[in-house]
Amino acid sequence: MSIFTPTNQIRLTNVAVVRMKKGGKRFEIACYKNKVVNWRAGAEKDLDEVLQTQSVFVNVSKGQVAKKEDLTKSFGTDDLTEICKQILAKGELQVSDKERHSQLETMFRDIATIVAEKCVNPETKRPYTVSLIEGAMKEIHYSVKANKSTKQQALEVIRQLKESMGIQRAHMRLRLVLPAKEAKRLKEKLKPLLQVVESEDFDEQLEMVRGNNIKIRTFIFCPFGFATLRFCIFSPCLLFSRHPQVCLVDPGCFREIDELIRSETRGRGSLEVVSLKDVEEGEEKF
Amino acid sequence: MGPPTLDKIRALQRNPRNIRNLCILAHVDHGKTTLADCLVATNGIISSRLAGKLRYLDSREDEQSRGITMKSSAISLHYSNGDQEYLLNLIDSPGHVDFSSEVSTAVRLCDGAVVIVDAVEGVCPQTQVVLRQAWLENIRPVLVINKIDRLIVELKLTSQEAYTHLQKILEQVNAVTGTLFTSKVLEEQAEREEEEELGGDQARDWSSRPEEADDSLLYFSPDQGNVVFASAIDGWGFSIQQFAHIYNQRMGIKAEVLLRTLWGDFYLDAKAKKIMKGAQAKGKKPLFVQLVLDNIWSLYDAVVTRRDKEKVEKVVTSLGIKVLARDLRHSDPKVLLSAVCSQWLPVSQAVLLMVCEKLPSPLDMAAERVEKLMSVGARRFDSLPEHTQELKRAFLRCSSRENEPLIIFVSKMFAVDAAALPQNRQRPLSQEEMAHRRELARQRHADRMAAGYSAAENTFVAFARVYSGVAKKGQRVFVLGPKYDPGQGLSTLPEGVSASDCVSAVPHLSCCSMERLYLLMGRELEELEEVPAGNVLGIGGLEDSVLKSATLSTSPACPPFTALNFEATPIVRVAIEPKHPSEMPKLVRGMRLLNQADPCAEVLIQETGEHVLVTAGEVHLQRCLDDLRDRFAKIEFSASKPIIPFRETVVRPPKVDMVNEDLGKQQKVARWSDTLNVDSSGLVTLTTPNRLATVSVRASPLPPEVTGLLERSTELIRTLEQINMSLREGRSLDISPRTLEAIAGFKVQLESLLQGRKWRDVVEHVWAFGPRRYGPNILLNRVAGYQRPSLWQCLGGGVQAGEAAATRDLDNSIVSGFQLATLSGPMCEEPLMGVCFSVEKWDIQSSVPPQHQEEASTSRGTPADCKGTGSGATRPEATEHGPIPAGLRPEAAADCYGPVSGQLIAAMKEACRHAFQAQPQRLMAAMYTCEIMTTADVLGRVYGVLGKREGRVLHEEMKEGTDMFIIKAVLPVAESFGFADEFRKRTSGLASPQLVFSHWEVISSDPYWVPTTEEEYLHFGEKADSANQSLKYMNAVRRRKGLYVEEKIVEHAEKQRTLGKNK
Repeated sequence: MSIFTPTNQIRLTNVAVVRMKKGGKRFEIACYKNKVVNWRAGAEKDLDEVLQTQSVFVNVSKGQVAKKEDLTKSFGTDDLTEICKQILAKGELQVSDKERHSQLETMFRDIATIVAEKCVNPETKRPYTVSLIEGAMKEIHYSVKANKSTKQQALEVIRQLKESMGIQRAHMRLRLVLPAKEAKRLKEKLKPLLQVVESEDFDEQLEMVRGNNIKIRTFIFCPFGFATLRFCIFSPCLLFSRHPQVCLVDPGCFREIDELIRSETRGRGSLEVVSLKDVEEGEEKF
Repeated sequence: MGPPTLDKIRALQRNPRNIRNLCILAHVDHGKTTLADCLVATNGIISSRLAGKLRYLDSREDEQSRGITMKSSAISLHYSNGDQEYLLNLIDSPGHVDFSSEVSTAVRLCDGAVVIVDAVEGVCPQTQVVLRQAWLENIRPVLVINKIDRLIVELKLTSQEAYTHLQKILEQVNAVTGTLFTSKVLEEQAEREEEEELGGDQARDWSSRPEEADDSLLYFSPDQGNVVFASAIDGWGFSIQQFAHIYNQRMGIKAEVLLRTLWGDFYLDAKAKKIMKGAQAKGKKPLFVQLVLDNIWSLYDAVVTRRDKEKVEKVVTSLGIKVLARDLRHSDPKVLLSAVCSQWLPVSQAVLLMVCEKLPSPLDMAAERVEKLMSVGARRFDSLPEHTQELKRAFLRCSSRENEPLIIFVSKMFAVDAAALPQNRQRPLSQEEMAHRRELARQRHADRMAAGYSAAENTFVAFARVYSGVAKKGQRVFVLGPKYDPGQGLSTLPEGVSASDCVSAVPHLSCCSMERLYLLMGRELEELEEVPAGNVLGIGGLEDSVLKSATLSTSPACPPFTALNFEATPIVRVAIEPKHPSEMPKLVRGMRLLNQADPCAEVLIQETGEHVLVTAGEVHLQRCLDDLRDRFAKIEFSASKPIIPFRETVVRPPKVDMVNEDLGKQQKVARWSDTLNVDSSGLVTLTTPNRLATVSVRASPLPPEVTGLLERSTELIRTLEQINMSLREGRSLDISPRTLEAIAGFKVQLESLLQGRKWRDVVEHVWAFGPRRYGPNILLNRVAGYQRPSLWQCLGGGVQAGEAAATRDLDNSIVSGFQLATLSGPMCEEPLMGVCFSVEKWDIQSSVPPQHQEEASTSRGTPADCKGTGSGATRPEATEHGPIPAGLRPEAAADCYGPVSGQLIAAMKEACRHAFQAQPQRLMAAMYTCEIMTTADVLGRVYGVLGKREGRVLHEEMKEGTDMFIIKAVLPVAESFGFADEFRKRTSGLASPQLVFSHWEVISSDPYWVPTTEEEYLHFGEKADSANQSLKYMNAVRRRKGLYVEEKIVEHAEKQRTLGKNK
């Protein structure tokens, strides 16, 4: 029985324990707080800044050091530094307060950045700034969940923010080409999914100008002008049989539209992304 | 004398000979508003007791609390001198450097200026600025040397010392004027010489050669009568004339002689009763000291220093003035002093007299000034159309007859609370009216509760002056924008058109009607029916047609006046956002109003969605924010440092390390993983998760000239992209020959810049530009055997290639991947710039996994490798492009990793990012060019501030004829926050920077650098934590965006707070 006197007793304070089970045994090491995550991420390179002591324990709080034979049996070596490194890399750890705090903060920022990237102010069609979104998130008391991905949470945030401020996902600009026969029927189905239909061309009109190249050209130029031309371009094979329309949709509906067109037209219609994000560009002076 | 009645002022307005439009200019705190108070007090608008304390023209709350003037405000005063009655339109201006734009607006409307100089501080930076401004606008200045009491009370100078001090100040002021004069003469001379070289035999005008040019009238001198010595706070002031008059009566010396000798090296020989020259040489008191200053000194001595009651009484009786017993008994000697002084030598009398005698009336406007006003930009006056030149005569006549053309210049718009307008002002009401009002008020209150906010509105009043004709209420006039060309206007408009038939055909010309005309009386406005020429006025109802300043006229021949020359350009930028995001629309509306109300503030929305406010300085910023908060937006908002954009790029591998040691042959490590392979030369090969497609990409830096060219020609590239898009669809377009020429020129330029072995034939192989299809990065097609239609096919080269060139399937996915990669780089998700990605290999395996082999239909027919491109042209679907051509091949898309095209986009993006990371990466910072005008004595500090903020001086030169230096430097935008303020503080306002965005520059330090060699360890230490500029920027951006930043949460593990008990 060892004698516990203040002289031969090493007391550890501020311990963060990292545990690992190996070979049916439990091993623990004593680390400093707020350091293990840094070590794992590679930001901390000095092992002495992470480990309180380079011995491996069975139970840190009781001060029971692991037996040498157990270590060699489980790890295949008795080099304590090597074992400590293994445990640090693979063991389960306590996340300390500051580590958790900085993780949540980073996630919060990340979510706000994603929201700001994906959304626009519906009135001006310009994005909101990240700090504004952060403020809005704080206002609705959004709490970050550490175990959910930031992307998922960002979508959730967008939904919640819609109630308190004018915000909207930046629209995608799509070009749909539908077979003439099914166009009417499909259009009805698509209607609730499309936000804005910018331009539409019916094949009846196209039928009329068939075979006359010059007329086709005038047809393309007159009604839309050059600016919209880049959104409503069709290849000649489509001119006579299909029904192209350019529209703005909420990106959330993309999958749905994709499914719908694919199944309904059996491969004869097509869907094309003209631009992923429809926002105003450039600076504006008042 | 009570305040002048409106009728009186109206009558006076009709006589331009007796109108004086003047402004008060000076350095901050030299007593402009105090002097204005004294002048206002003569009209009985405020009590003369309060003059100097009330600061009547500082009507804003923050002006009163801070004690500085922030805006220029006008007041009309009446002054009668003997049988002549004058109307003075007085404009008080701010002295703080941030508000020098307000000074510009004031100076433009005036014919003369009262420049004030503090007797103790002398000529200060802003004094120089205002003198320059007055000079540039060709208005005549007179001088007031103020705060002479401080020489007596604070500095305790003797009258003799004070005299030499005053002489010195006068010399300083004249030196400034002299410099302005010589620099102008030199400029003119240089211009003339140039002209002579060009023209040779043009008419020569030698009248203003520097040695011959007459400058004696320019200078201030008491014997010229354009200097007044004053103490506005104590209410006294005098000019030499007054004393000459007094001593003429008392001592019988001729007034003319006294006038000549009172200021200068003259003394009174008591025995000979003669005025003699050479006071200094003979050690005698100069006449000015003996006759003028000594009297004042003894008065101060009696009243303030010694408080000798008897002597005071003696002085009072000898001066023949009456002082109230109350003032005599007052415990504060200042009260008595000002009571005595304001009766003995009232400052208002001295100043007003000088103003009326020395400053020109609107009728005496110099022809030169008119020409300068009317010739916009570099245009010469002679080149203006004839009708316009005729208007010059109208200007000079300044007549208010009916048939004269009306010309008005609006120098600024200012916001007035609607309740303060005369039409809304309270009148005494009858009983019924009151009952009615009460009912209305109740109603309104209920409405307001329902609406949730108060509906107090701001209306804008234009601060303007009539130069010719009569402005009538409700009259319709043309509003001439700054770019309006009278020649063009005259030719398009029919003869004799008037503003009432609205025309919109001419650019920069619109019509509006002047709803209301006001007389500006400081914080009050009086409504007027008409305003004749030569007067300053306020115009209501222009807010929709005039933004900040404009020229109004009934004649389309009138040219717009030259723009106001602002001494300070707005450079302090802050981003503004509302505390509550739902209040965004209110903020935007408020900022629009602010933009209109402030001549110098600028408001813009950036591409990031930030609302940025640009102001002239920190004090100006504070005022703008206050205005926005309390007046225009009425919401809570926060102002912060604006977001700084960066760019990411790669550079050539360095030859030497951080301590200038040769690196020699560098061994790059090749990396391998499941799908990724980076070889030692930086070629990255990536396979899609379903193992169907492989791309190999290499990144390399573009020469900076190419990047510059690409940046300049974004518009052209965009057009090219549109043309190509439609060509891919198989249609031919009508492209204007101009565009084609431009594209061809662009291509030639690109070819000439991309020379050398490495860049051979590169231009022909350009696949796309990015990000957003028109950015400064290039995607190259180096895939062996893949001949896609050239980007330049619209130029005709691609037509011959015909069959051989065809787009491969999923071509667009590669481009999309490239676009995504260039839009946000791996360093801190900022766009890339100046990077060239070349795709060296691109294989698509026979698409379908073995178990679906039977489904591999011909319709899908994707060529197994790059050789099968020929088939593309025969199939109708081959030209179909798109990132998700899902409809065409539904079965291929249905694999567990999503559609092939999508996977390819992701793979391409990742490949680009890795290829980028395989090269030495650098951050690019936006740079401002910074022009600094400074005097020689603060040159060192200018360099200090620039150096501290990572600035680099490009060159400096001395301005001819002055002691000013002009320094040109570049400075990272990231370091510019607070720059202007620091600059002014460190140089005591003697240097003012102007910042303009110029270019992107690679920051030379590597953000990922760590010491590797022995020498580097020695030099930088193990941690190498000396400042790494680009790492600092990169981490700041990463932190802002919530990306991972490699830094420790706590630096020293042991130094954390111990949570254990004391064991």
